[in-house]
Amino acid sequence: MSDASLIDELPGELLMWVLIISELLVFGAGLVAFMSVRLTDPVGFAEAQSHLYRTGAALNTAVLVTSGYLAAQALHWRLAAQRRAARLALIGASALGIVFLIIKGTEYAGKAAQGITFETHPFFMFYYLLTGFHAAHVLAGVGILLLVAWRDDPRNIEAGAQFWHMVDLVWIMLFPVIYLLG
Amino acid sequence: MPTASSFQKYSRRRHPNPLTCTWFTLLTLSFVTALLTKAPVMPEIAAGGILLLALIKARVILARYLDLSQSPAWLRGFTIVLTGFSILIFALYLI
Repeated sequence: MSDASLIDELPGELLMWVLIISELLVFGAGLVAFMSVRLTDPVGFAEAQSHLYRTGAALNTAVLVTSGYLAAQALHWRLAAQRRAARLALIGASALGIVFLIIKGTEYAGKAAQGITFETHPFFMFYYLLTGFHAAHVLAGVGILLLVAWRDDPRNIEAGAQFWHMVDLVWIMLFPVIYLLG
Repeated sequence: MPTASSFQKYSRRRHPNPLTCTWFTLLTLSFVTALLTKAPVMPEIAAGGILLLALIKARVILARYLDLSQSPAWLRGFTIVLTGFSILIFALYLI
């Protein structure tokens, strides 16, 4: 099989896959750096991690997974010429993105109330950087989903849904490393 | 780009809807992850299980939501890289 046909196998736009792979590499490198720095102070990292709001983060996993489901359904419905259902699914997916951000914001507010900042411990520097960068992607994704709900060409919806699944995928890998591996 | 074949693939869906099955699978795996964090097992075993579940969830998203099940070579490539990543994270955890 030639390289060209292998690339042609990718569903959707090639540039979206370049973005997905780039983002996975960036977050992957961040998580490897986090685990590497943890080696210097595993007890401190475990103690810092105990301050995290695990229930909220687990709830956010369900929220994102459900949101991804709605985004995938939107493309399915749009291809079946059910434009209204597709638009509603995209609006629902973006609304769940906002729910994710509200839960994340509550978590950050709780940390701030405890006086926990970037400088409290190296754990929290990584925590704020990685989860904050991810939250920025969620915010961008909410806007993209609303945009493709408005300009609802199937190619647009496919690209928007792919971006959203990438955000979901990053969280699936980030959540256990930051929140659970104590 | 979604094509006529994509349309046929989607319009031919019968119950249960594969996307709904995928969603349910992901929620179930997330629930099992939550249970594992409370399970009375050695932390190393729990960590290995949690990372394995995350890897499975990532593969499900790639295959079903990002539609790489239609591109086995790419799905295999992503799976190999993510497996390597998970092994590296687990090794760093165990050190």
